[in-house]
Amino acid sequence: MKRAAWYLIAGTVAGFAGVLGLHGRAAPPVLVAGPKSTGGGASPAATPGAGGGARASGPVQPTGPARQVNGVVEQYGYGELSVTVTVRGSQITNVSVPLLRTAEPYSQQLAVQVLPMLKSEVLRAGSARIYAVTGATYTSQAYADSIQSALDKLHIK
Amino acid sequence: MSFDSALAPAARRGKRRQVPARPDSPRPRPALARAGLVLAGTGLGAVTALAVTDETASQLAAPGGAATFLGSLTGLIGTYLALMMVLLVSRIPAIERVLGQDGLLRWHRRLAPWPISLLAAHAVFITVGYAQAARSGTWHEVGVLLTRYPDVLTATIGLGIMCFIGVISLRAIRSRLRRETWWLVHLYMYLALAISFAHVLALGPSFVGHPLTRIVWSVAWAATAGLVLCYRFGLPVVRSLRYQLVVAEVRREGPEVTSVICSGRHLDKLAVAGGQFFCWRFLTPRLWWQAHPYSLSALPQPPYLRLTVKAVGDHSASLATLRPGTKVVIEGPYGAFTKHAQQGRRALLMAAGIGVTALRSLLEDLPRNSAPVVLLRASRPEDLVLAKEVAELVRYRHGRLHELVGSREEAPLDERSLPQLVPDLRQRDLYVCGPEGFVAGMVDLAKRLGVPDEAIHHEAYLL
Repeated sequence: MKRAAWYLIAGTVAGFAGVLGLHGRAAPPVLVAGPKSTGGGASPAATPGAGGGARASGPVQPTGPARQVNGVVEQYGYGELSVTVTVRGSQITNVSVPLLRTAEPYSQQLAVQVLPMLKSEVLRAGSARIYAVTGATYTSQAYADSIQSALDKLHIK
Repeated sequence: MSFDSALAPAARRGKRRQVPARPDSPRPRPALARAGLVLAGTGLGAVTALAVTDETASQLAAPGGAATFLGSLTGLIGTYLALMMVLLVSRIPAIERVLGQDGLLRWHRRLAPWPISLLAAHAVFITVGYAQAARSGTWHEVGVLLTRYPDVLTATIGLGIMCFIGVISLRAIRSRLRRETWWLVHLYMYLALAISFAHVLALGPSFVGHPLTRIVWSVAWAATAGLVLCYRFGLPVVRSLRYQLVVAEVRREGPEVTSVICSGRHLDKLAVAGGQFFCWRFLTPRLWWQAHPYSLSALPQPPYLRLTVKAVGDHSASLATLRPGTKVVIEGPYGAFTKHAQQGRRALLMAAGIGVTALRSLLEDLPRNSAPVVLLRASRPEDLVLAKEVAELVRYRHGRLHELVGSREEAPLDERSLPQLVPDLRQRDLYVCGPEGFVAGMVDLAKRLGVPDEAIHHEAYLL
């Protein structure tokens, strides 16, 4: 077994190059961490004018100019997030998440899964007073807190 | 029943061709071991690349990004090396035949500190990295990791077990433990690896949302577990049931040296080479739980199989008290210290003390007129066990036998005396067997005297 090291090194280089090559050709990762990608578009029914969902849930049509404001960045133990709230008059018409950063993909995946649920909760409740999603208590809390901070800036309730 | 009467024809093997031949032991194929080595390297490169490709520049620059990256890199490589550790002792026959059990154990021992320290570093890096990312304290993050992340608690227990085993394996501590105690405790490594598995798939950046790597990783571990079960457990059970060995006779060969002669079925079908050993498990109330490696001191002479053992520990000492009829479970044959290793046509066989057992059975495998030179080393005349049998086997092969009895000063084996005893030393394959110190000394001496590396074959008895 002379030259054992060479066989080992040759294999290592081949394996490294192989995975790099495969990775280059593979589709982009499933997780999307970019800004605005998590909040927007997840539930089009809640966007005004896009469908009947928002109208069905509330009889009052949103009036007045749309205003957008950013909530504070919340540290929630697994990472950090902040929201951008869009309101017309005093009604919340949209919530997006421009910042979501976690230490590892597990929390990222979890957040990506629950953020649309939290968004529809907020749109239905019309405020930051929502129930936490089971299994994502800290994410829910941070989401609600960030929304509340945005609403406070707008002096809504 | 006498083993000696059965031994006589064996000494003249080759003269009587009509004796039905046992199947020859399978020849080692170095190409397979090389392929295994390339495959191991490929895996190492692949997991490294996996950790690297999962990282983007922005993640690396984010708070805790660097520590988290180092954490997943050390975690992946450490786990992969742990997999290699298991494979090295999984007794895959094709690899074992090339490297020998002691060669594999040497690699296993040399590699051992790496997975343990890499995985410990992994835990530290991940904790620090997550704490920085979450802008919390490191100790607070320990609590978060243990309570809120899936499977981290069990993985941490697994790491604790690994570190404990790592500590008791340190030379200073291990030398104070009984061999069996240490060995049994270190088997908990399997448990540690098993309970750490889940958190890799649940949390590893290379596995979350990557079904392909999940499948490949799971298959690799399942295959390894399968190999271990098959070759460390299944094959020994099958062989033991097939050969049905029982102790037939226990015989004193010299001071503290005992031969155990076992009888069994189908031993004419047992493919074993001279110089190989089995791990023996004698099913008595006191000994059933431990298996020890002892060389065959003669090739099988159906229906008999003989091992010869010197009392150096509790187990070897208690073999003298074995009763005929005791059932025996075997694992093996193992060892690359065989005729297959020979490069040239002539051999020099050296043994010290009880190392004569492997030499004795190896000698049987050398053809007639092979003119081997045999050197037996012992500190006292009565320690030269099996010398008569060795002398007969050497004479039949027209070889020469030197018995060196006395202290190292009285009967030195050094740069002056060895070439005198064996003038054609450099044209011979050297087989050395005996205690670790003797083997290391003789291998070193042979190298200095110009014997090429590939012509040196050795088997050391680790105490």
